[in-house]
Order: sequence, then structure tokens, then C-alpha cells
Amino acid sequence: MREVYVVGIGITKFSRLEYPLVEIAAYPSIMAMKDCGLSSVDHVYVANMGGSRLNRQTALGSALVDHLSLYPTGAETIENGPASGASAIKTGFMAVASGVHDVVMVTGVERMRETNNLEATDFVASLAHPLAEQIYGVTLPSLAGMFARLYMDKYGVTSKHLAMVAIKNHNHALANPFAHLHMPITIEGILEGPEASTNNPFVADPLRFFDMCPVSDGGACLILASKDVAKKTKKPMIRLAGVGQATDTHCVHERKDPTDLLAVREAAARCFKMAGLKPKDVDVAELHDAFTILEIAESEEVGFFKKGEGHIALEKGYTALGGKLPINPSGGLKAKGHPVGATGVGQAHEIVTQLRGEAGERQVKNAKTGFSCNFGGFGNNVVALAFQKEK
Amino acid sequence: MAIELEKLLRPVDNPVPLFPAKFVTLANGEEMVIRQITREEIPALLPHVAKLIQVERDYYDIVSARLYAELLGYYRYRVQDEYVLVAQINGHLAAIVNGRCLNPQVGVSYHTLALRRGLRIGAHAFAAKMEYHIDIMKQKEVLVVAESPIGFRRWMIEYQLEKRFEVAHELGGVPSYALTKKLFDRARSSLVVGRRPVPEKLLEKACEAILPPTDPPKPPFDLLAATRAMYDSTGTALRASRDQLEGGEK
Amino acid sequence: MKEQILGYKCSKCKTVHYPNRAICRKCGNDKFEIEPLPDKGKLLTFTHLYNPAGDFEVPVLDLGIVELSNGCRITGQMKIENPKIGMKVIGKIEKVRQSGYTSYKGMVFYKA
Ligand SMILES: CC(C)(COP(=O)(O)OP(=O)(O)OC[C@H]1O[C@@H](n2cnc3c(N)ncnc32)[C@H](O)[C@@H]1OP(=O)(O)O)[C@@H](O)C(=O)NCCC(=O)NCCS
Ligand SMILES: [Zn+2]
Repeated sequence: MREVYVVGIGITKFSRLEYPLVEIAAYPSIMAMKDCGLSSVDHVYVANMGGSRLNRQTALGSALVDHLSLYPTGAETIENGPASGASAIKTGFMAVASGVHDVVMVTGVERMRETNNLEATDFVASLAHPLAEQIYGVTLPSLAGMFARLYMDKYGVTSKHLAMVAIKNHNHALANPFAHLHMPITIEGILEGPEASTNNPFVADPLRFFDMCPVSDGGACLILASKDVAKKTKKPMIRLAGVGQATDTHCVHERKDPTDLLAVREAAARCFKMAGLKPKDVDVAELHDAFTILEIAESEEVGFFKKGEGHIALEKGYTALGGKLPINPSGGLKAKGHPVGATGVGQAHEIVTQLRGEAGERQVKNAKTGFSCNFGGFGNNVVALAFQKEK
Repeated sequence: MAIELEKLLRPVDNPVPLFPAKFVTLANGEEMVIRQITREEIPALLPHVAKLIQVERDYYDIVSARLYAELLGYYRYRVQDEYVLVAQINGHLAAIVNGRCLNPQVGVSYHTLALRRGLRIGAHAFAAKMEYHIDIMKQKEVLVVAESPIGFRRWMIEYQLEKRFEVAHELGGVPSYALTKKLFDRARSSLVVGRRPVPEKLLEKACEAILPPTDPPKPPFDLLAATRAMYDSTGTALRASRDQLEGGEK
Repeated sequence: MKEQILGYKCSKCKTVHYPNRAICRKCGNDKFEIEPLPDKGKLLTFTHLYNPAGDFEVPVLDLGIVELSNGCRITGQMKIENPKIGMKVIGKIEKVRQSGYTSYKGMVFYKA
């Protein structure tokens, strides 16, 4: 297997973007090409989840190569729910590692604000089991709510811990110009003040409004290349050292212990194994905090903390910028935003930015090893990536 | 003669109690004052509303255009029994709500305009307006319509308003919904918040001057966004605006 | 005919699956017998969902996961005041969703 490097990166602001899907994809792609100075690639992978339903556009891969005038370069679209982004990176990794291609472009893109929030939620809910979950009105927030209730019951996590995740990530996002929400929040305002229950109402009890990520549009792009090409680009050598993916039952109710996220555990283990790393080697991580409870749960499942101790690490400030292991310095899905198909690429973009030392005010000092976890379905398809900076 | 004519044109407002100011703590910890303003303060609002007429998204354009007319109507004495409440954060304008009394029993809600997004500011201001009608003016019900999907979710769904479709609402003659005292009582604990009295300093700051909104909604980068169909296949006119949006190369 | 929700029992190892799948998750067999699921069980976890999908004309939708008396688990709606984790519940088959002209039936749990 050949070594694979990230040579170029680009991203849009995650926000509400009022231009066509393919333009949202094209912009970060152009940025990434400029970033590494390459003018052509061998293959294009586009990660997207909702194009056909939300924007009435299919075959985005073809649309993007055309828009960038890259034809006859091969291209395809990769859909793996909210983990589409990291899935596409993994596919690009395999293409380069195997020697089939030398340079590939991986672009994640989503435009969800074209419809209203209700429809967007319903669309994301289409990844639940059609007969055993969807007909009852199960949505992702409701699965997260049921998960959170059990988790809090079992491990002593409180609403305050959840609010602390939100506050931390909102604070991180203030230093990220690409983040959706630039809005500090306080514990007084969202949990303890007299107006808190109106400012921050329940959405899926025990989860509240500020426990949920916003619905965003956005795109991000990574250019992956072999070592030879990477050296020529003169960019910092950031190696995609490991990829790991795992799945779990479709229905949440079929899991033996519904508070276990086995696919996260397994994906991370496979990723670390390939990279020859241990969780303790990681300097900076992006975890899939579509719901605040997930940041805590994932931080345990991937091996950063013992099961049931993620919230204690949070309390101690380990996971905030300046702490031992900053998690979601970008603001995470919670505040950076969650354009579903683009999220995994967005996470990788942040890790590469951090490893390059280009993260400005939110820079994690001396970050050499980064990790990201992209969570698809409600934990039934998870892709983990590990990155390392080389001299 | 001119004075005589003006007398005919100018309605005489019925006396009603004033809205006692209140304040709420927002999610970001800031304190927001909601208070009733006088006719004399209207000109201070107009320029901020006028700018939003260009915001062709989330129905800000139509709502601000109509609100502008209503504010002017109030200022120049052309609306019967109207009132205007504003929400301010550190003196800066955050929301405007207005309405009027149809008769002593029934109120009419006009508009709710949030000049800062994402903090339920509009929802708080709307709740204050309902409180004014039901609790302060002791009316039986308030007729409400929504012009935007967000408004529909905030009012019709969150308060579960009753259908009053036989009544055409003054705003565009569309079928009305009604907030009754009973519905309001039910929503009281969850949706209607705020404390009184407002600390003196806070109120003083608010009354001193109505400062411009700090982060008002901006027009979409694509000016045709609202009028375009589901999907614009060419999208070529958008390059410049896109660069502006992402701060890319000009 | 009595309305029931069907579990799928592996003809070899007798594991009951719900919902159905093509291959038994325990032994790999691909033959199943249909077995109606019991209606009694205990509540494993639940949520009150305050922003249900557009199809639901209710302000709050209560959802829960129940472990049925045969050990099989199922997701369903609930009509229970003050639900508690671990409480005993009983399921009834009712209309759970109306989507345009199509209506769907499913399990709704009540306090046992
Ligand atoms: C309707 C209105 C008063 C509600 O105000 P509010 O309660 O403060 O709510 P916000 O406007 O902050 O947020 C409403 C929605 O927009 C989203 N939103 C928040 N900030 C946003 C931003 N900067 N840009 C775009 N959307 C944003 C929120 O996520 C929220 O959606 P959600 O409830 O599904 O999460 C306000 O949106 C408004 O003034 N709209 C224009 C005028 C109008 O429609 N008036 C009502 C006529 S009936
Ligand atoms: Zn079997």
C-alpha cells in the first residue's frame, strides 16, 4: 500500500448559501486546487447525501467535473448518509494507496436550507428504518433523545454537562471564520437563568435546542496525492495515516446495550491500527457532535477516555482549546454547522489546518497527530480518519 | 380648513393601559428590555425597518414593507388604536412588534420583526405583545396571521392557535387564527417569560435612545434567491456574490 | 383478523428478529417463521419529541423503545403520562402516521 498525503484543502463558510449545489461544491474545490498548485486531478469523488431529494440534482460528480472543466476525468458521487464525507475520503485514500490514481479530489457538499427545517429533518430521518422506525415519526433528534436519556441515567451525565459541550463548541467557533454560528452562549442563558427554558426549549427531551447542530449548507474539499506528488507541491506533509469504518444494526433498538456505539469503537480501533497509533497519541480531534451527548459518548468509544468518564474530562477542561486534548476546535457540528454530506470532509479540513499550524486563534499548539470521527445513521455507519504531520 | 380636514382624517385613540416594560435574559447571557414606545420615537425606527425591505429572504421584505407603512400610519395618525413595542439589547434595536385593538374585546396582531437572529428574540417579543392584549388590556382574543413559514411555526404551531377562518385578517384579508385567553394561559409557563420591574439602569439605557441593530439580517448574496425557482441551472450571475460571501479572490 | 406486529423467528436457532432481515444475525440461517410479537414489556428509554415531522399534527410526539416479554425490542409511540425508565407497558396497534392518503399502523404503548 502506498502512503497517501493531503496536499490541498478548501472550504466554504458553513451557513445558508444561496447558490446552486454545484457551485457550493466548485468553490472549495477551486480553493483546494489553488492551495496545492495542481491544475488537474486523476479522479473526483463527491460526497453528498440529499442532492436528489433536496435540490433535485443527481450525478453530482459529473456536474462538478463539468463545472470545473476537468472532463474527461472520472468522477462519482458517494452517499453514505451523514458519513458520506469521510466515506469519500476513504475511497479516495484507497484509490491513491492502491496505485490506481496519483491525485484525487474529494469534495463534500450539501445544500439543506433550500427547503425548510421540517423537511430537512424529515429528509435526514429517511436514514432510519422505514418500517420499524420511520413510520412512528422517529427522527435523528428523537433517537439522540432516547440515547441521551439512557446514557444520562447510566453514567451520571447531566444537562449541565451537555450545556458545557455546547458552550465550549460555540466558543471555539468564534475563532473559526467558516463556522455557521458565531454566537457565544452562557449557562445562565441556556440552562440556569429564569428565561432559560424558553430560550432553550426541549426538542427531544432530555435534549434541548442548544444540544442540536444547526441545519447548514456548505462544502469542503481535500486533494489527496501520493508521496511523489505531495513532495512536489511543497505543502506541509500531512499524511492520511489511517482509515477505519464499521457498521452496526440499522434499528437502534436492536443493539444489545443501546448506550454502546460499537461502530464508533470498531471504526476507531481499525483506524488506529492501520495508522499504528494509540488514542493517547492524538493531539487534536474532531468528533461528530450533531448532538452534544454524542461528543461525550464518542470521546469514550474512540478510546480517549474510559467509558462513563467523558463528561468528567469535559468538566476538567481537557477537551477545550488549551486543554490536554482539544475536541472540536472548529466548533464541531454544533457550532461550525452540519451540511450532512460535507461534514466528514469539513472535519478533515479542520484537522489538516490544525496540523499545518494554520488555524490562527484556534490553533492547538504543536499538533502533530489528528483524528476525526464521522458518524452516519444513528451510529450504524461510522468512518474514522487519522492524520499525521511529517517533517 | 386644513385643520378641520385633518380632524376628520385623524382617528381618536381609545384610552388603554400602557405596557409595563419587562426584561429577559437571552441564551447568550445578554439582557433584553421590551417596552412600549411613544409616537415620538417612531422616526428612530424607520431607517432600520427600511433597510430590511431589501432583504428578500424569510419574508423580511414584505414584513418590513408593511410594518414601515404601519409605523408611519401610527406616527402620522392614520391608524386607529395602534401600539408599538420594541425589544432592545444595550439600547440597540432587536425587535419590533405592533398591533391594534379591533374593539375592547378583540385585538389584532400586526407584525413581528426580529432584527437579530437565532436567539428567539422575535418569539419573546411576540409573547410580550400577546401578554399586552390578554393580560394588560384584558382582551378575550387576538387575531393572528403568519406571513412566513418561520412565523407559522412560532405562532400557529408553538401556541397551537385556534382557527378563526371565517374572519378575514386585516393583513391581506387572509383567514385568521386566534390566540384566546385559554391558549395563552396554557403557553404562559413555557413561552411567556420576562421579569418586572426592569432594573433602573437597564431601562434608562433603553429609553435614552434607540440605537441601530447590531447584526441585522442582510440581503441574500443572490438578490434573486427568493424569486428563483427550485433550482437555477445556470447560476452564472452568482460568481461575484459567491466571492463576496466567502471572501475569496475578487 | 387480530392486528399484530410480526417477529421473524429463525427456523434453526429460534432467535426472534424484529424487524425482519434476510439472514439470521446469530446463526446465518436464511429461513424464518413468522411469530407475532407479545404486547407486554418494559420501557427501556423514551423521549418527548417537540418538533415532529410535518405529517404529525401534534405538538409533541412521545417515542420509546420497549423490551418485550420475549426479549425482543421494538420502537413505538407512547401515550403515557410521566413515563419512567423500567416501567411496565402494554402495546396496542393503532394508526401511527398519516402521510397524504396513506396511513400506517404500528405499536402504541400504554401504561400496563
Ligand atoms: C418570524 C421571526 C419574528 C421569528 O423570530 P425569532 O423567534 O427571533 O426566530 P429567528 O428568526 O431567530 O429564528 C427562526 C429560525 O431561523 C433560523 N435562523 C436563526 N438565525 C438565522 C440566521 N442568521 N440566518 C438564517 N436563519 C436563521 C433559526 O434556526 C430558526 O429556525 P428553527 O426555529 O427551525 O431553528 C423572525 O424570523 C422574523 O422577523 N422574520 C421576518 C419577519 C416575519 O416573518 N415576521 C413574522 C410574520 S408572521
Ligand atoms: Zn438463527
